[in-house]
Amino acid sequence: MKRKLGALEKVDADLPNLQHKLKIDPRSYEQDFVNQYSQYRSLKELFLQSPTTTDDSGIVRLRDLVDFVSHTADCYPKLTTAFPLDLVELLDLHHATLDPELRDKLVGALVLLRRKETIDSVQLLDTLWPLLLKTPSKNLRALLFQKILSDLRTSNQKATNHKLNRHIQSKCFELIVSDPTSAKGLWAVKLTRELWKRQIWSDAKAVSVMKEAALSQDAKVVTGGVRFFLGGDQEREEAAAEEDTDDEGNIDMGKLRHQAGINKKTGKRANELRTAAAKVKRKEKKKNSPHQLNFSALHLLHDPQGFAEELFQRHLQPAQPKVRLVLEQKLLVLQLVSRLVGLHKLTLEPLYSYFIKFLTPKQPSVTSFLASLAQSAHSLVPPDILEPLVVKIANEFVSEASAGEVASAGLNSIREICARQSLAMSDTLLQDLVQYRKSKDKGVQMAARGLLSLYREVGADLLRKRDRGRDAAMGLRIGEKQTARFGEVGIGEIEGLELLEKWKEEQGIDSEADEEAGWNNWDAESDSDDDGEGWINVESDGEEIDISDSEDEREKKAKAAAKAEPTFEAQQSAGNTPAATTPASSRATASLEPEAALKREESRISRLATTRILTPADLAKLNELRSTAAVTAALPATKRRKLLAAQTAAASSRHADDPLTAAQISGLSAHSYKATRQEKIAMAKEGSREEGGNDHRSTTARRKEKKESEGKSTSNKEKERKKNFLMTLGKAKRKGKRSLTQERAILKGHVERRKRGGKRGNKGQ
Amino acid sequence: MGSSAKKKREKKSDFKKTKLKVGKARPKNTNATDTSFAAKSIVLKQQSLSESGRDPSTIFNHNLSLLASKADTQRRDALAWLTNAITAMNAAALPQPPSAILLKAQPLILDGTASVRSQLLKLLRILPVDQLGPLDQVLLYTRAGMSHLSTDIKLSSLDILDWLIEAQPESIVSCAGGWVKTLETFETLLSWNGAKGTTGSLTGDGKWSATKPTVSLGSSKLLVHQLNTLTAFLNAGLVRPERDDNLLAIQAAECWPLWHHQAHLMPTKSNPYGYLNLCGKKRDTESDMYEDPEERQEAFITSGMCRAFVQGVTEAKKEGGEVGRAAAGVAKALQLVVDVG
Repeated sequence: MKRKLGALEKVDADLPNLQHKLKIDPRSYEQDFVNQYSQYRSLKELFLQSPTTTDDSGIVRLRDLVDFVSHTADCYPKLTTAFPLDLVELLDLHHATLDPELRDKLVGALVLLRRKETIDSVQLLDTLWPLLLKTPSKNLRALLFQKILSDLRTSNQKATNHKLNRHIQSKCFELIVSDPTSAKGLWAVKLTRELWKRQIWSDAKAVSVMKEAALSQDAKVVTGGVRFFLGGDQEREEAAAEEDTDDEGNIDMGKLRHQAGINKKTGKRANELRTAAAKVKRKEKKKNSPHQLNFSALHLLHDPQGFAEELFQRHLQPAQPKVRLVLEQKLLVLQLVSRLVGLHKLTLEPLYSYFIKFLTPKQPSVTSFLASLAQSAHSLVPPDILEPLVVKIANEFVSEASAGEVASAGLNSIREICARQSLAMSDTLLQDLVQYRKSKDKGVQMAARGLLSLYREVGADLLRKRDRGRDAAMGLRIGEKQTARFGEVGIGEIEGLELLEKWKEEQGIDSEADEEAGWNNWDAESDSDDDGEGWINVESDGEEIDISDSEDEREKKAKAAAKAEPTFEAQQSAGNTPAATTPASSRATASLEPEAALKREESRISRLATTRILTPADLAKLNELRSTAAVTAALPATKRRKLLAAQTAAASSRHADDPLTAAQISGLSAHSYKATRQEKIAMAKEGSREEGGNDHRSTTARRKEKKESEGKSTSNKEKERKKNFLMTLGKAKRKGKRSLTQERAILKGHVERRKRGGKRGNKGQ
Repeated sequence: MGSSAKKKREKKSDFKKTKLKVGKARPKNTNATDTSFAAKSIVLKQQSLSESGRDPSTIFNHNLSLLASKADTQRRDALAWLTNAITAMNAAALPQPPSAILLKAQPLILDGTASVRSQLLKLLRILPVDQLGPLDQVLLYTRAGMSHLSTDIKLSSLDILDWLIEAQPESIVSCAGGWVKTLETFETLLSWNGAKGTTGSLTGDGKWSATKPTVSLGSSKLLVHQLNTLTAFLNAGLVRPERDDNLLAIQAAECWPLWHHQAHLMPTKSNPYGYLNLCGKKRDTESDMYEDPEERQEAFITSGMCRAFVQGVTEAKKEGGEVGRAAAGVAKALQLVVDVG
């Protein structure tokens, strides 16, 4: 009896055990909890009397008790109302002197209490956020930041917690606005950027926080804010894409089912399969759900004009600079300002005169300046502002005496400016510059050709007659081609619409009756698809494990998916193209026909686009017609013209949101000089990382790697070749001494196995 | 023929490889070293063990610092050394004042090792009673010990409380938090707080209350000790020190023409008008100081503990035996309040 008693008491004496028992039956162990709680209180009091001199064992005990109470506090909410407040107070007053482990435990306990809903997120974050700004400890800051981030993520997981988000956003905002000179604002920037990347905050308020950061008076905060606008959206897209690929690569349902058929059936494996099926289903649902529409930060800005002006005046052209920025940081700010100007077509005249003093080849990172300048040009900038700049670039950069890369950078930047505002060029200058296409340097040559082809497109009358080319010359003669006047806006149209129109005419389909039929027909088609094959049903009940997933069923699915695809693409392209149409493609067909026909065609196009709504059937046909037209265009006679069209299409389809980079300005000249050793190494490394790049390996090696990455094993031949020599020795020895009967048996066995399909046969597959 | 084959095999056996089997442990190498021994002791060849040359006060301080050592034997030995040293020296000649010694030694109340705790009690007993300094920290440690998980620590910290009551009854009950908080600790320990809710077996929210936890199956040693200490504590707090009428008469005679002069002197108590709470913040009844027996009585009654204690005692008395007797002692002490109230 006595021995047993001793053992029992020993078991009673450890906190984890008591914690376990408490959780099972809180009511019965209330007294024990009260005892421990009072113990915690007296230890806390002891600690508070001398926070710095308490010995190790006291701190360890206090830590254990804090852990214990925080794990069990939710069972006794009435007894522990003061507990969270205690923790908050401890952290608030003593965070600088606390033992690091105890401090981390306190933070962890608070987060735990939040998870158990004892305190709410606002309360938690109100404690952690000021602490993050106050504490001198780097470790604690890292911990706090991570906890804040994860709490915000979890509270936004099921649905967006607008109240909390607004609260924290206003905290961030206040932090930056209340003291623009302090570097503490960096935490607000960091938090906002991280949450933006994870698509938790994607509203205008987050953008306004960053806007304030960009306008603050601390260099780090300013660059943080500016970098966000320049790269935040790209980062977000990348993160999203990564997430998608991560998830998709993981689960192969067919393989799992196959394995479940072969392996021993246990409860655990069945569970695994079930969870995998559920996961796949969830993913499918997510994929099918309408994609969340994300506006880029630059589009969510409230007052881009004001923002750009203020950025420019505060950081680039201040009377008395409040914050000193180094060149690199200034370039970032300049990049942002010019993107804002280009994207929103703002009017910021002092910006262009600001550029003038930087436009010399000696200026460090001048290509970035050139890129910014080109970016800030748009069709609403008065040409007489841009013209001196273009002239200056031409004078400083482009001459026979200057180095190849300098000249090509100049030409490229002039081309980019003129692509945005073609009126900024005079004919004499243009004719001068175009002559450089005869240059020896490849980069300069290409840049000059680019300029030439651009002006054949947008202002052929500025070129000399023999430089205009056939198309442009003909266009000028028939009056189709006219230089756009200042502020003129082109009409939007749908690519390949004339093909559809022609096809309809040939088929003799009346537009009125057809429209109704187009919708009906389309609906009926898609319906019958579903009913006949029923593949959606199979997929939709993913909870139930369907092991007998036969081969032909999968095939059907694939077919159905293939059928669905073109329509989707068609819709997409129809949605995207109207703004960025290529007049080139319409001209490609039109220019072959006589003038009168062309006029008729044009009028018809406009009629079709304006009088009716294209049905899904129409769009599918349009897509088909477009692809056949592309095939005919690939004939050698039209090859040259096609190339030209593709070039202009690429130039015009560059998305307005995409920034212009210094690399684009320096263009081909980057390759015109001999690379150093380091550069060669870097290039080789980059190539191996990239997919499809030249990674300097044999085809076999690449194939092998591909096979391995697909999870395929080696072939039998390979295995035979690789087999250890010593293992083959015994068989080779015996092989010569076989009797005839043995030989026959072996041959027979071989034939038999071939018939069966291997030792075990192919039945299982 | 056969023998020669056998011989050949024997000759070859030296050069044969041992076969490795899948799933079996690898056979040990022939030249492997056995490392499965454990060192019994590590001998340091050079260590100065001579304590003779050192100053006695340095050794004393050294031993005092050893009280925070990690090894429990070292703590115990240091305590024993200190005990011997203090008994040998007289109180005036101690290198450190008793209050400092107490400050260093008090964390050991919560020590995990029984021998250290018993040695600590021995040390405390020989400290000069009148030079202990403020006692509220010791009391804090003691209270923490009383609510500790381990029964051994509970028992030994009750011993410490006994010593405290014996040594300085006045300052124990009148220091900050000393009265109400200690009583509350007793209340939770004895689980007498049932009176705060409803008296029946139903708790406030209408659910069945838990059964009273039986502290340590079978043995009532702890409970008896708790009750006895509580009796001593209540007596210390509630009994007014006897007034000596003769002494008063003599004092009055000494300053004869003056009458009731105490009323006009500077008050002897600290913060005499504290009960008015004119410009302080909200009173924290738990950690307040109660300097008079009357004040303590009032606090005892107003906090509702008196009722709970009376009820608990009547319950405990019914148990009879040793517990009943100890409970009767508590009841007697409580009588002081009940009489007044």
